[in-house]
Amino acid sequence: MSNPWIAIGALAVVAVLIPAGMIAVSSLLRPTVPEQGKRAVYESGEVPTGNTRIRFNIQYYMVALLFVVFDIETVLIFPWTVIYRDAVANAGLAKALGPMLVFIGVLVVGLGWAWRNGAVKWVRSPRAERQRVEQ
Amino acid sequence: MAAEEIPLVFEFAPAIAVLPALSLVVALFFGEYFPKKGAEAGILATAGSLVLSLIMLATVAGGQTVNHELYTLVLGVSEETFGLHLGILIDPLSALMLTIVSLISFLVHVFSMGYMNDEGETGLPRYYGELGLFTASMLAFVMADNILMAFMFFELVGLASYLLIGFWFRDAGPPSAAKKAFLVTRFGDYFFLVGVVGIFATFFPATSTPGMFAGEHAFPVVAEHALAGEATVNTFGFEPQTWFTILGLLVLGGVIGKSAQFPLHSWLPDAMEGPTPVSALIHAATMVAAGVYLVARMYGFYALSPTALGVIALTGGFTALFAATMGVVKQEIKQVLAYSTISQYGYIMLGLGGGGYVAAVFHLTTHAVFKALLFLGAGSVIIAMHHNENMWDMGGLKEKMPVTYYSFLSGSLALAGIIPFAGFWSKDEVLFETLVHGLGTPTASSTLLLIGYAFGLVAVFFTGFYTFRMVFLTFHGEPRTDTAEDPHGVRWNVKAPLAVLGVLAATVGFINMTPVAELTGAHIEFLHQWLDMAPEEYLTNVHHYTEVLETASHYEAAHISPLAPGAVSLALALGGAGLAYQLYGTAAHPEPHTEKLGSIRTLLMHNYYLDEFQVWLATGVTYRVARAANTFDQGVVDGVVNGVSSVSLFSGSRVRRIQSGVVSNYASLITLSLVLLIAFFGIMGGWF
Amino acid sequence: MATTLPTWTALGPALLLGITALVLLIVDSIDPDTSNSTLLAGLSTVGSLAAFLFAGWLLVSGTGQPQTGGAITLFDDQLVVDGMSLFFALIVTSVATLVTVASHDYIADQPYQAEYYSLVMMAATGMTLMGSANSLATGFVSLELASLPSYALVTFLKKNRGSVEAGLKYFLIGALSSAVLAYGISLVYAASGHLQFDAVASAVANTEFVGVLGIGVLFVLGGFAFKTASVPFHFWAPEAYEGAPAPISAFLSSASKAAGFVLAFRVFTTAFPELAGLAGGPVTVDWVLAVEVLAVLTMFVGNFAAATQEKVKRMLAYSSVGHAGYVLIGLAALGGAPDKGFVLGASMMHLFIYGFMNTGAFLFIGLTEYWDIGRTFQDFNGLAKQAPLASVAMTVFLFSLAGLPIGGGFFSKFYLLAATAQSGTWILGAALIINSALSLFYYTRVVKAMWIEEPVNDFEIDSYPAGIYTAVIVAAVITFLLLPAFGLLSPSAVTGAAALF
Repeated sequence: MSNPWIAIGALAVVAVLIPAGMIAVSSLLRPTVPEQGKRAVYESGEVPTGNTRIRFNIQYYMVALLFVVFDIETVLIFPWTVIYRDAVANAGLAKALGPMLVFIGVLVVGLGWAWRNGAVKWVRSPRAERQRVEQ
Repeated sequence: MAAEEIPLVFEFAPAIAVLPALSLVVALFFGEYFPKKGAEAGILATAGSLVLSLIMLATVAGGQTVNHELYTLVLGVSEETFGLHLGILIDPLSALMLTIVSLISFLVHVFSMGYMNDEGETGLPRYYGELGLFTASMLAFVMADNILMAFMFFELVGLASYLLIGFWFRDAGPPSAAKKAFLVTRFGDYFFLVGVVGIFATFFPATSTPGMFAGEHAFPVVAEHALAGEATVNTFGFEPQTWFTILGLLVLGGVIGKSAQFPLHSWLPDAMEGPTPVSALIHAATMVAAGVYLVARMYGFYALSPTALGVIALTGGFTALFAATMGVVKQEIKQVLAYSTISQYGYIMLGLGGGGYVAAVFHLTTHAVFKALLFLGAGSVIIAMHHNENMWDMGGLKEKMPVTYYSFLSGSLALAGIIPFAGFWSKDEVLFETLVHGLGTPTASSTLLLIGYAFGLVAVFFTGFYTFRMVFLTFHGEPRTDTAEDPHGVRWNVKAPLAVLGVLAATVGFINMTPVAELTGAHIEFLHQWLDMAPEEYLTNVHHYTEVLETASHYEAAHISPLAPGAVSLALALGGAGLAYQLYGTAAHPEPHTEKLGSIRTLLMHNYYLDEFQVWLATGVTYRVARAANTFDQGVVDGVVNGVSSVSLFSGSRVRRIQSGVVSNYASLITLSLVLLIAFFGIMGGWF
Repeated sequence: MATTLPTWTALGPALLLGITALVLLIVDSIDPDTSNSTLLAGLSTVGSLAAFLFAGWLLVSGTGQPQTGGAITLFDDQLVVDGMSLFFALIVTSVATLVTVASHDYIADQPYQAEYYSLVMMAATGMTLMGSANSLATGFVSLELASLPSYALVTFLKKNRGSVEAGLKYFLIGALSSAVLAYGISLVYAASGHLQFDAVASAVANTEFVGVLGIGVLFVLGGFAFKTASVPFHFWAPEAYEGAPAPISAFLSSASKAAGFVLAFRVFTTAFPELAGLAGGPVTVDWVLAVEVLAVLTMFVGNFAAATQEKVKRMLAYSSVGHAGYVLIGLAALGGAPDKGFVLGASMMHLFIYGFMNTGAFLFIGLTEYWDIGRTFQDFNGLAKQAPLASVAMTVFLFSLAGLPIGGGFFSKFYLLAATAQSGTWILGAALIINSALSLFYYTRVVKAMWIEEPVNDFEIDSYPAGIYTAVIVAAVITFLLLPAFGLLSPSAVTGAAALF
């Protein structure tokens, strides 16, 4: 007796039964009035246009990726700066500064490569060009 | 055993076998570019082997021997398994045999230049290559220090003889003869293989090296200890002696096949289809000799079992007589020689079975010499006769080819056993040893020995007769055909080997003249002393064997003078020869007297219908069994095999189905199996 | 001498590979528009070869091995360099060298070559680090470092739908498996409070959270099963190996698999040995049994599926799954084995030899793709007449894979069989034998097609690419040489493995 899983299992059963019961009861009681507005996507009151499957410009991803690089860099640099003075005092300049320089160096190489290969160049969107011409 | 401190000279022992093996490679791949098409390589290699063998002989004479492991095939992983290895054992017996084999092989190579090259044969590189393989395997077999290695090279010898007998594979006869030789010897080898496995199973773990021939841990020695109750071996529920007899007889199966003993002798006459130098090699020193050499090699084992010895003696004696009678009526010179080989190996077996280890080795030696001589002589005659082998078409060759004649005569006298040629001394000793043990032994096996002796004695008469019938028909009288009138000449490369062997055939018997020794009291039994020189720790020397024969098989020698039996056998041989002279030697154009034998002749010509019997065995019995087996194989075994493969393929295609190509299926399958795994181990481990 | 060098140089192989990757990026940054493929391939070959030689030298000089004072630990025990990590560094770098040499011709016409080589080097860095990981955290990070470039490499042929599809599947399954692994690690951490292997081992010795720990261990096992392409986490493998460029297939199926195994070996033998009672205690989480189940399943699924394939590359992909099953024996047979170093060492040797024979076989496929002669067995008909040397090499690979004594694969399988015999896990031994026999069937089909069958299509081979040829021949020669040289290497594998227990 007193296996804790029994209680957990009972709780799970109850957790499933209550919402299921509520839905069942409400579907029995409520009147059925189908209407267009009820099936529309809820956009905080705005009338939705188009469907969800639209393409974003690839540039957003590139920026996001580069952001991640810098983000991680910051995450690591921040605590390092906090303890930097103590670290220098305890382990010496080379051991405290060196690894961080290597780390940043590696990221700089990556960034340099991305830059040279046009990751931060604002690409032209053919569709945007077209639309501008039409207007 | 100080296996590590081997004398330097034995480091070269493997080269004896390696040299001919190299000549195989050289002749096969580069033979075309040599003027003699590869004969050079073979001659050089066998000459090297001969020189090395002689050095070994001298070293052994100096009292040094070797029994050591060369190369480990399978290392014994732990205490529970045994290792398999290749190694060499050079003691007086193997040193003697090495010399014989390399000498004969060397001479055969030289002779081949006359027989094959000068006759304009094609495919010579292949011929010399196969000859090299043949020699190499035989030499390695002789050197083998354990029975597994011996078996491996025994098989290689068989393979090489198959290739050589079938050398002229475009004709009808040779391939069929080669197949017959291969199949018949293989039949015997099955028993041998079972015997080898049996020996390994029996003597492990009693000794860690169950296959060795010589030394404290060798199987014959362990078997001896087991009989004496000092060691325990696996005998699978039999009495030790019974079980050793069974093992010995199993190995003997291979011996009977290889040494062409009754009833597995039928391949040897057919093997005459091969080139004559090959026949010389097969009969004198390699293939056929391998069988009896094996018995001599593990004599310490056979000596433990009187039954096995009796079987050997009886088989040998019977074969000696049986083959000799068939030799009487043959018309082709090589056929006569073939039956004489079977008969002579019968004598050797008789000697081994009769407790005459020295006598048998002696006869093996002398026979190797004079049989090689006779074959090469026959080869010379065949060259002269433009490859007509029928003796009735010859006659009068004496004047035309004197070197061949006199050397052939020397060989014939040796074969017939006329004093003082080699065969007399050895054959006489074989018969004498059998007789004294037959008379002296108190147990039942004495009867077997005496029957064997009787067979052997009668065979002496026939031997004398067919030998001289052959000589007279070939060389004496008037030429009976135009070819015989004007024979084809032969060159030095035919004559030189003949001359060497002719001299040897006359003299080699002097190495062990037992009757003379008995008479004069001089110690001139050199071979006996030689074989007795094997080191004590090998336990392969003669006095050890004598001891074992007495203790285990109760062989005892009766004390009679060797003179009377010797005189009897000499008289019989002379009688046979004299009869041949009466019938064939006097007239210029001899009558075919054997035709008067009528139906007996027909019987003999057809080899007692044994071939027919064996064919009936093959077609009438074996074929039916094979067909039944085939049905079984097709229906049941194939069914199972096909079933397995179709089940595999079917389940394979099922397994393929899992790979649906839809990645969400994969993800769900992975998750599902992880859940299953956790559920299984969770419930099993009681995690919940 | 090794003793005079600072300890961080023990990570030299990984550092060299990483530096090579960065150098390649710098070269590409200097001149991004043109790709000098010889320079790029040369640089990466030099880098990986240097790493190979360095690893070999470290191994021979005894770095991190018992004779020089045992394993070298770095970064507060987060990384470790010992015989096993160097041995696997050797495997990874040798495969990487072969792959870069062969890629020179294979991707000669493709854009983004610098990125390709750089990714290969980064993946190799990650794989080498996996061998040195001594904590679940570094293990996970280095595993991801090996995985992420692999996803990109599989899709390297952007215009080839198969390649892109395979890459996507690989990525999705990989993401799932990484999640499983990370979850498993978190559960183990929850139960033990540590990530470093030795600390985990001592913490879990008498833990009360057996359930949590058990699920964690199985999840971790699942994560590694993905990396090593073991059933049931193998689904990505046939697709990825088939769709990827052939050198990448070789790289993934040999080096990546080896890296997955080394991490698994280390985690399970260092962090969790107590759970399965390897040290003699009670069995709490029987992961040996779990691995045994996976091993048998992997062998059967891999080989049975391989037997019914029509495409040679896919057949090799499945056979690679089957080989993962053979290697798993190293863990699965640990249970009753008296000499655990031998069992694990047998697996390591198999991976080493597999690194050459399997890489070689995939590179041969790369050669046929280069010639564009088709992918099915029939397309290989009569190939031996046109390219005898390469066909001989392929024959050596296939027979060695099947375990015939023509290459080192014979001995490594023999050792594996001996390992199963030693531990008495007859079911593994039987599965090994049955599947080896079955594998002979489908390997022989290729050999038969190449040597015996008459060509169906007329194809003329007009060029013999030097790079792929070199790689294939070198791999074949080494595969063959490992037959006699097996005895030279196996002691270092066995002692490297024995040091873990």
